[in-house]
Amino acid sequence: MRRKAALAAGLALVLAITACGGGGNGGNGGTAEFNAADTSIVNASTKAGGTLNLALNDDWDSIDPGNTYYGFAWDFARFYGRALTMFKPAPGTAGLEVVPDLATGLGEFTDGGRTVTYKLRPNVKFEDGTPVTSKDVKYAVARTYARDVLPNGPTYFVDLLDAGDYPGPYQQPDLNQFTGIQTPDDLTVVFKLKAPFGDFDYLAANPQTIPVPQAKDTGAKYQEHPMSTGSYKVDSYVPGKEFILSKNPNWDTSDTNRKQLLDKIDVKLKVNAEDIDNRLLAGSLDADLAGTGVQAAAQSRILSDPNLKKNADNSFTGRLWFFVMDEKVAPFDNIECRKAVQYATDKVALQTAFGGPIAGGEVATTMLPPNIVGYQKFDLYQTPEAKGDIAKAKEALAACGMPNGFSTKILLRSDRPKEVAAGEALQQALAKAGIQAEITGVPSGGYFTRFAGAPEYMHANNIGIAFHGWQADWPTGYGFLQQLVDGRTIKAQGNTNVQEMDLPAINALFDKAAASTDVAERTAIYGQIDRAAMEHASVVPFLYAKGLVYRNPQMTNVYIQYSYGIYDFSQVGKQ
Amino acid sequence: MARFLVRRLAGAVLLLVITSMVTFAIFFIVPRLAGQTVDQLAAQYVGKDPSQAEIEATKEKLGLDKPIIVQYGQFIKGIVAGREFSFGPDTEYCPPPCFGYSFKTQRPVWPDLVDRVPVTFSLAIGAAVIWLITGVSIGVLSALKKGTIFDRFAMVIALAGVSLPIFFTGLLSLALFRPTGVNYVPFTSDPLGWASNLLLPWITLAFLYAALYARLTRAGMLETMTEDYIRTARAKGLRERKVVTRHALRATLTPILTIFGLDIGLLLGGAVLTESTFSLPGIGRYAIDAINNQDLPQVLGVTMLAAFFVVVASLVVDLLYAVADPRVRL
Amino acid sequence: MTSPLDAPSTAVAQPEAVLQGIGRKAIEGRSLGQIAWARLKRDKLAIAGGVVVILLIAMALLAPLLTKITGGSPTEFNQDLIDPTFSKPKGDGIFAGFSWDHPLGVEPRSGRDVFSRILYGAQISLLIGFLATAVSVVLGTVAGVIAGYFGGWVDTFLSRTMDVFLAFPLLLFALALAGVIPDSAFGLSGNSLRVAVLVFIIGFFNWPYIGRIIRGQTLALREREFVDAARSLGASGRWVIFRELLPNLFAPILVYSTLMIPTNILFEAALSFLGVGIRPPTPSWGKMLADAVPFYSVAPMYMVVPGLAIFITVMAFNLLGDGLRDALDPRAR
Repeated sequence: MRRKAALAAGLALVLAITACGGGGNGGNGGTAEFNAADTSIVNASTKAGGTLNLALNDDWDSIDPGNTYYGFAWDFARFYGRALTMFKPAPGTAGLEVVPDLATGLGEFTDGGRTVTYKLRPNVKFEDGTPVTSKDVKYAVARTYARDVLPNGPTYFVDLLDAGDYPGPYQQPDLNQFTGIQTPDDLTVVFKLKAPFGDFDYLAANPQTIPVPQAKDTGAKYQEHPMSTGSYKVDSYVPGKEFILSKNPNWDTSDTNRKQLLDKIDVKLKVNAEDIDNRLLAGSLDADLAGTGVQAAAQSRILSDPNLKKNADNSFTGRLWFFVMDEKVAPFDNIECRKAVQYATDKVALQTAFGGPIAGGEVATTMLPPNIVGYQKFDLYQTPEAKGDIAKAKEALAACGMPNGFSTKILLRSDRPKEVAAGEALQQALAKAGIQAEITGVPSGGYFTRFAGAPEYMHANNIGIAFHGWQADWPTGYGFLQQLVDGRTIKAQGNTNVQEMDLPAINALFDKAAASTDVAERTAIYGQIDRAAMEHASVVPFLYAKGLVYRNPQMTNVYIQYSYGIYDFSQVGKQ
Repeated sequence: MARFLVRRLAGAVLLLVITSMVTFAIFFIVPRLAGQTVDQLAAQYVGKDPSQAEIEATKEKLGLDKPIIVQYGQFIKGIVAGREFSFGPDTEYCPPPCFGYSFKTQRPVWPDLVDRVPVTFSLAIGAAVIWLITGVSIGVLSALKKGTIFDRFAMVIALAGVSLPIFFTGLLSLALFRPTGVNYVPFTSDPLGWASNLLLPWITLAFLYAALYARLTRAGMLETMTEDYIRTARAKGLRERKVVTRHALRATLTPILTIFGLDIGLLLGGAVLTESTFSLPGIGRYAIDAINNQDLPQVLGVTMLAAFFVVVASLVVDLLYAVADPRVRL
Repeated sequence: MTSPLDAPSTAVAQPEAVLQGIGRKAIEGRSLGQIAWARLKRDKLAIAGGVVVILLIAMALLAPLLTKITGGSPTEFNQDLIDPTFSKPKGDGIFAGFSWDHPLGVEPRSGRDVFSRILYGAQISLLIGFLATAVSVVLGTVAGVIAGYFGGWVDTFLSRTMDVFLAFPLLLFALALAGVIPDSAFGLSGNSLRVAVLVFIIGFFNWPYIGRIIRGQTLALREREFVDAARSLGASGRWVIFRELLPNLFAPILVYSTLMIPTNILFEAALSFLGVGIRPPTPSWGKMLADAVPFYSVAPMYMVVPGLAIFITVMAFNLLGDGLRDALDPRAR
């Protein structure tokens, strides 16, 4: 066994390997160490056989690749479907890169970026042996237009493609009427965009481009058996109980993006969080699919026992916790009053409320978390030890014309204990600067449709501050920030730009990034957007979320896929 | 008998109708009074990032643009006769009892709900067996040994039992006996695991009810023992044992049976607190999740099911009365 | 010989059987009140319950003063006392976090003083317990007296309504209702609205219990000679209700109010536990227990303290209520 290599050497080695695009086929990799899977492949092996036992506290919104909006579901969908592109199967920041999957190469941009062309790999088949053609990809995207039937997935294609008011294939089954995608031949897919979109290759990695044969589509019921093109196929999915996959005999073995080491994959659904932890530590479970981290009890067991700790990872989940000040609600229409809150906030108190540095995360100063393309480290509102600076807050209050403070309301989700604790911590910190905030708790169910995401509600109830958490749909500055700070995304309900920030300069930067086909230029622009948004002072990021996750030492080829912030399940095997 | 049954059934249906109306009112009228628009309601069905056109389409599809009375009528029709929903290429027939499709999961409510039934049944019935046996026997013994140390001790414990919130005893028992938590395993797949996991919830839930029933039984028993017919039976020279079992116990148990019917019916509709405390995936957990998600079809389904169990349980009790007490004429 | 538990002692759920005869006039010479007081004085457990109740009320009222003595505050964070990695109070053993400054320890995550949170939580529990009981008693007495006095279809309608209420999955309705109530309504906002909503929900859903008892009592009283006499002397319905019935209903109303307060305190705790209670940062015992759930194995005392607070309060009211009932029931020997 060669995996006894020293960690430092192993780490360097892995980075070198992944840099040249390996993805770890051989026996190179890190040993089982705390946090080893964050940056290296743990237990690299080619041993085949075994069952991967996963569990989930929750359930899928839908296992239909075209109808899901959960990160773990996007990660997991790669088992049973191949999208045009995917995130590089590699640990560390290399995993943020897009590589072709169903396509032979990345998108070819023509017509000033308005046309994106992909060539499909030949010989890719559905699980029943039918060859995959460009029509199946076109159909897969077309059906996401039927929002009344498949409501869960993102709407980027609907928003970007030049398809008129195409209502989806259930009302208009003639695919020729769908002009957003053209299929000149069986292996060519041509996307027609309304406007250029530089990050298009990232969009193409969404499971919405996983081919769907029109003849087999049963609309909302397609999730009962999605046709696989990946290395595994769906055996059975029982909502709230289990999801079982087995080897796909018609998988294209020339596919180097995923492995087929396991015999079977067994996901138990709706399992108690504590029970997941117990089974993980007992070894009867390989990993928690959601990867949000273990509970308090298991956390103290893992951290106090070196034998357990070496099988645990503490990595960024890609989520940012923050709160915003609504610029349309007085006195936050005044930037100085917003700055007062920026300075008064005790981010360490919020961090402790969210579970501390390990279960909660690292104190945040930027909107982009570290694992996102475009991240730059800066802190515009520095306070001693990030614990708040009352003097500076009072200065800002005076500049705002409210030297004695003011009163406002904090909106949060009352069924989330950590958020409530954070709200109370914020309330305390603001009170020290003379800002009296009252907490308004609402159910998480309608948070973005009725409460924080409905500007009318915010204005009518005079809610100045609202808690918010965000994870990118794809790991670039555009994917993370656009829905949060682009003023043109503000809407009457389902609004995620809760602070109602609408700055022409920022909006223009998004357009500039979209039009650019130069990766370096785009990356630089994302950093500028982050800074410009922070200068406007209406968003207070406080935590780059982290979770303590546990991997069964029996699992092979384990690492954290940075794009999803959880283990890359498409690669794992069992010892 | 027939007339009795018809009357009881009519009452049962009435209760179900009232329950559905109240639930409907809470979720449709109260939020609207609170300023929620139909658009916002529809937006919950559409998923993330809804556009106005999608909201309009959804409103029409679900009939949210129609008056509340019409919507309520459709809902009732779905339960009695099933309903049709359009799902992409096909129109899906949702067979009765159709409670519609969840806002969040887009899955029909009824099968998901039926899935939860075994968990709640296992919990409620297991606990009921324990509390009936222990509660009633302690109550009877206490009454017979009125004033003794046993009686006083039992009654103080019983009073403590009814004074302890179940979410506290539940957590306490978890911390003391099973810090790793319990996990429901279906009886059919692993009977031993089923029992060992449910043991703690059973005992915790049964403790509360046993305390209640011990107090009820004792009071009823003492009351009955002063009745004339008991004195007559004793005067007749009947053995004390027979007096107790034949006469006193039977008269005491009749009102207890009524309460038991109500209690078990309410529990079968979701032991909300017990299931929350032990994280058991039963109807009660489902209800809490549905309420937190503001998922109206789920909430309607679960409250209707809960009311249904209460109605059935009290019907069964009424029938049992006829057996237990010959004086009751049907 | 009197023992506190001699008389039948039922729970609130099914109390009719016990109360029959409470309205009967006591033996000449001493008033019912005097007899009852004499009886109650001999019931040590009931007296103990009463003393605890008075102490609890005093503690709740004096909470600001008492917390000044220990120097704690129910809202102030002391995160220096919290181990940031585990979010639990620093130190080992189950009494980690207990000190002279924080006699009942500190809350995980925030480090807030549990002692002062318990005291201020008592205010909420007792306030809602008393007010909700008042709502139930008023509603229940009105409905019960009307049903019992007028009989006929009025009785049938009210009795059926009460049956329906008793068969409702009440906790679910209460949860659903509390969840959809807006931020400000009826001219109230913030915590005063929350308190009003909780009082209304708890009081409104529990009135049938007392309604059934009062109805039964009224039915029995209506047939009594003194009521007949009043009526035959030409007394109006109002006279009969207010002058003849209500004074005789005073005893059962007192007893069942006392027994209803603990049930309502439990109900409030349950709603808070399930997340629809008073809004943070105002402390409530049920919410404290809910917050303790993720920590029950690492910081067990944080769960035990509010649990015991609820238990002691409810038990004290139950003891007092049981004692009162025994004392007011002439058949108790």
